[in-house]
Amino acid sequence: MLRYAVSRLVSLCLSLIVASIAIFAVIEVIPGDPASFMLGMNASPETVAALRDQLGLNGGVAERYLAWAGGMLRGDFGMSYTYRVPVADLVAARMQVSLPLTIYALVLSTLIAIPVGLWAAARRGRATDVAVMGVTQLGIAVPNFWFAMLLVAVFAIALRWFPSGGFPGWDQGLWPNLRALTLPAVALALPQASILARVMRSAVIETLGQDYIRSARAKGLSPAQAVLRHALRNALIPVLTILGLQFSFLLAGAIIIENVFYLPGLGRLIFQGITQRDLIVVESVVMLLVFAVIVVNFAVDLAYAIVDPRLRRRG
Amino acid sequence: MSLLSLQDLHLSIHGTPILHGVSLNIAPGEVFGLVGESGSGKSLTAFAAMRLLPEGARVTGGARLGGTDLLAATEAQMCAIRGRDMGMIFQEPMTALNPVQTIGDQVAETLVIHGAASRAEARRAARAMLDRVGLTADRFPLDRYPHELSGGQRQRVCIAMAIALRPRLLIADEPTTALDVTTQAQILTLLKRLVAEEGMALMLITHDLAVVAGMADRVAVMQAGRIVEEGPTADLFRTRAHDYTRRLFAASEHRPARIPQPQGEALLTVTDARRSYALPGGGLFAPARRVEAVRGVSFTLHAGESLGLVGESGCGKSTLSRAILGLEPLQAGAIRLWRQPVGPGMDPAMRAGVQAVFQDPYGSFNPRWTVGRLVAEPFHLMPQRPDDAKDRVAAALADVGLSAADMGKYIHEFSGGQRQRIAIARALVTRPDLIVLDEAVSALDVRVRAQVLDLLADLQGRLGLAYLFISHDLHVVRAITDRVLVMQAGEIVEEGPTETVFSAPRHPYTAELIAATPRIGTALAGR
Amino acid sequence: MRGRWSLILGAALSALVAVAALVSLVWTPWPVEALNVAAKFRPPGAPGHLLGTDHFGRDMLSMLMVGARTSIAVAILAVGIGVVVGVPLGLLAAARRGGVVDELIMRGNDLIFAFPSLVIAILITAVLGPSATNAILAIGIFNIPVFARVTRGGALSLWTLDYIRAARVAGKGAARISAEHILPNIANLLIVQGTIQFSLGILAEAGLSYVGLGAQPPTPSWGRMLAESQTMIALAPHLALLPGLAIVVSVLGLNLMGDGLRDLLDPRLRRAR
Repeated sequence: MLRYAVSRLVSLCLSLIVASIAIFAVIEVIPGDPASFMLGMNASPETVAALRDQLGLNGGVAERYLAWAGGMLRGDFGMSYTYRVPVADLVAARMQVSLPLTIYALVLSTLIAIPVGLWAAARRGRATDVAVMGVTQLGIAVPNFWFAMLLVAVFAIALRWFPSGGFPGWDQGLWPNLRALTLPAVALALPQASILARVMRSAVIETLGQDYIRSARAKGLSPAQAVLRHALRNALIPVLTILGLQFSFLLAGAIIIENVFYLPGLGRLIFQGITQRDLIVVESVVMLLVFAVIVVNFAVDLAYAIVDPRLRRRG
Repeated sequence: MSLLSLQDLHLSIHGTPILHGVSLNIAPGEVFGLVGESGSGKSLTAFAAMRLLPEGARVTGGARLGGTDLLAATEAQMCAIRGRDMGMIFQEPMTALNPVQTIGDQVAETLVIHGAASRAEARRAARAMLDRVGLTADRFPLDRYPHELSGGQRQRVCIAMAIALRPRLLIADEPTTALDVTTQAQILTLLKRLVAEEGMALMLITHDLAVVAGMADRVAVMQAGRIVEEGPTADLFRTRAHDYTRRLFAASEHRPARIPQPQGEALLTVTDARRSYALPGGGLFAPARRVEAVRGVSFTLHAGESLGLVGESGCGKSTLSRAILGLEPLQAGAIRLWRQPVGPGMDPAMRAGVQAVFQDPYGSFNPRWTVGRLVAEPFHLMPQRPDDAKDRVAAALADVGLSAADMGKYIHEFSGGQRQRIAIARALVTRPDLIVLDEAVSALDVRVRAQVLDLLADLQGRLGLAYLFISHDLHVVRAITDRVLVMQAGEIVEEGPTETVFSAPRHPYTAELIAATPRIGTALAGR
Repeated sequence: MRGRWSLILGAALSALVAVAALVSLVWTPWPVEALNVAAKFRPPGAPGHLLGTDHFGRDMLSMLMVGARTSIAVAILAVGIGVVVGVPLGLLAAARRGGVVDELIMRGNDLIFAFPSLVIAILITAVLGPSATNAILAIGIFNIPVFARVTRGGALSLWTLDYIRAARVAGKGAARISAEHILPNIANLLIVQGTIQFSLGILAEAGLSYVGLGAQPPTPSWGRMLAESQTMIALAPHLALLPGLAIVVSVLGLNLMGDGLRDLLDPRLRRAR
């Protein structure tokens, strides 16, 4: 188990290094000088030179990469040009919105999808299964930002149960913030829950066809017992894969959804960064998102080993 | 009073009739053998009794276990009966156990599910049961997972699971078909002992007449959903009253008529061949462990000769065959064909001299190609496609008993036996000197196998071919080869004329293999 | 049987969208650039405007038809990138299974998966500015590992079969075997995956244009129509409903078609039914 974890950890670090090089390289290939690109056409040469210095653009490529990557390791993401504050502070503030939103959506999606998928699998071919499959098919086809707009129209504008946007801040207590995040989380979660429920259903059906289910039935387990005691844990293996992938989809989805609900999260930050040509902000937030995805994949790899004993011994 | 009684059992699945009135009685403590070829309905008979049929199945007739009407019982009643009154083990031990649950939990579950014991008691009982099937606590603690066990060991766990509550009837569906012959002998001995000790009845389902001959008190022969003959084992095996039984026997003992070939010059020479693989799972820090599959093998195969290569799974015979076909390199030693080196970079014209027939009649052909194109594939080895390619394909098909009209058909239109004939035609089309037959008849039913063996013997006589006949099946090797090599753990442990080796083995492993191979005659004599 | 019904329904919905897009090449009820502020916010069913007009008085049906064209073009090209790059990579990885090349390709795949398509789009936009081409590139790059994985998975299971060994005994090399034996036999898998990625491409394009990273004005696109309608949702709900429904119909159609094709093409599933 330890060897497995260590080897996954090594591959995590390698992924992070390669990803950071890729992001750095993309920003590097920007035609022209980043500093003048950021400041626009009419900047004076002095301002450009000052920004170049501030961006650490004076030096070799390797040197600049190491300075950037080393800074990130110390939690120093550089200064935002437009906001004139450390990017780390900006990101930390925005994370207080984005991270709870993503987790909220992930929990909602999982809580809905796992039982629904299991239920459909247990009743496969019957009316409930067909209905579930139809609804999830529709759920997958609905773009989450459009669904969000409909939710706002119905539950915020017409019924006034939830705010239509904005975020009060955690110093206002838990409840107002949960209310503010509920519609965005539902909008994010439902399409993902549809996918997850379908994966869960087919994973359970797949395991139900395995020989060990027949063995279990031959020793006297009822169909329901065979599902709960044997099929479920085996079905979790493909479901975990999808859960890991969904995290990155949710994170990306959150970027869009934050725009629908005017939530001051990472998504808003990154678009402000793009419109204001604040490359340091864009670069840092992208790196952070990628970091999150890679770390979650690492967690999924560890979860595999907990579910599946066959992985524990391998290196 | 019989324990299990099936009366005029009819079964159809999605409207397709499978069983046409099967009746049988199994007495308490009796070993009952049910034999038949694949598709005869023998397994489904057992599943019907267990009420574990696939969806869409319809059963009529009668099925009683003791006083219980199995067909009238509710699903809940059946759950109480399964595992407690009748247990079952299956053909494929590699997949019959839940990969993510320990063997201890899986055996204990039988007791827990039936409320026969608390969790702690069930674990103690599981320990005792595993001990009884020969998996002792020192090497097989309860927290082992299935993937840490070999096929034979897993089958032992399945047996422990099935008999944990000492059922009155144990159904074993081809329990040893997926196992090596020495493992098969051990499992059969174990089953025999447990049945005697517990006073259990055993319903043994198998395609192998020799296995039944050594195990069963009574036998029923099944064909196409009907029991065609039934009786005490010794009587039935001697009288063979029904025509189908006779044909089955004839096929399983069949030895094709072979014309002795003059010993030619050396065609294939293998000198001190060595091949090892890196095992998966080597990490970044530890060098990968290597397994030596072939460890210094040397032999010579002469033109026109039929040479057998026998050994159990994992002995390295497949690795050796891939090297001989020039698909994989050796790490040391040499393989020469007509004194030219064999290897992945060998000349196409040389490759044309060695062709192959593989085991799986279903996986051996690209399903999207016509038979004509499939058989013509080895023409790729010629500098240019011969002008008479079509005629040669037709001739090859005729050689194997098919017609030129089959060239336009697709492979799914043919049966397993016909497919192996097509594979042989494909191997013949370049007029090779040597054909490597890698378990080429292992997947076929006995009667089809006998026909294909006849074909192979006939082709060898007519075309002067040399065969390297690789198989785990000693009967078949004995029937079709002049000389035999016995391989164990990557080495050739014995070599000699086939009859000499089989009648007077010198190496203990050869003797063990021969002793473990069930034979009808010796089994009946030993009863 | 269910496979056939989803195939028919899915094909019908997809055909509806495809026909609308094709017709828009030669004819739309109104020119999409025609502003007519006097006729703004007409509801669906208004004379001359079957699906109403938007806040500039543009004909909604015409906009939706041209928007279909944008969506389909972006999605097809993005799937094309995924197939053209991903399938050969997958075939190569399977042919060199267990080797260094395989390992490199698969690790590269994992790395791309760490950048969700929107993040790739953001990076590209940050560098090159927003445009439909960049949206295609962003979605296409994300499709590469998807096709590489599906191809490798399908090819790996075929490489173990005896007919591949027979082809090797017939002296055929890995490239020839991949082309003659592997590719035709995984075509089913690729077609099914292609329809799924196509539908995901339409969703992704809509998302990108919604946040302004996709096709730029004046090219009509469903995502931007939704973005523009957002503030007017209470005033003119059809502006928000219609483009959303258009997306749902196309994605649903393609997904149903993919499901139906899978059931129809997979003999294993067909037998199980």
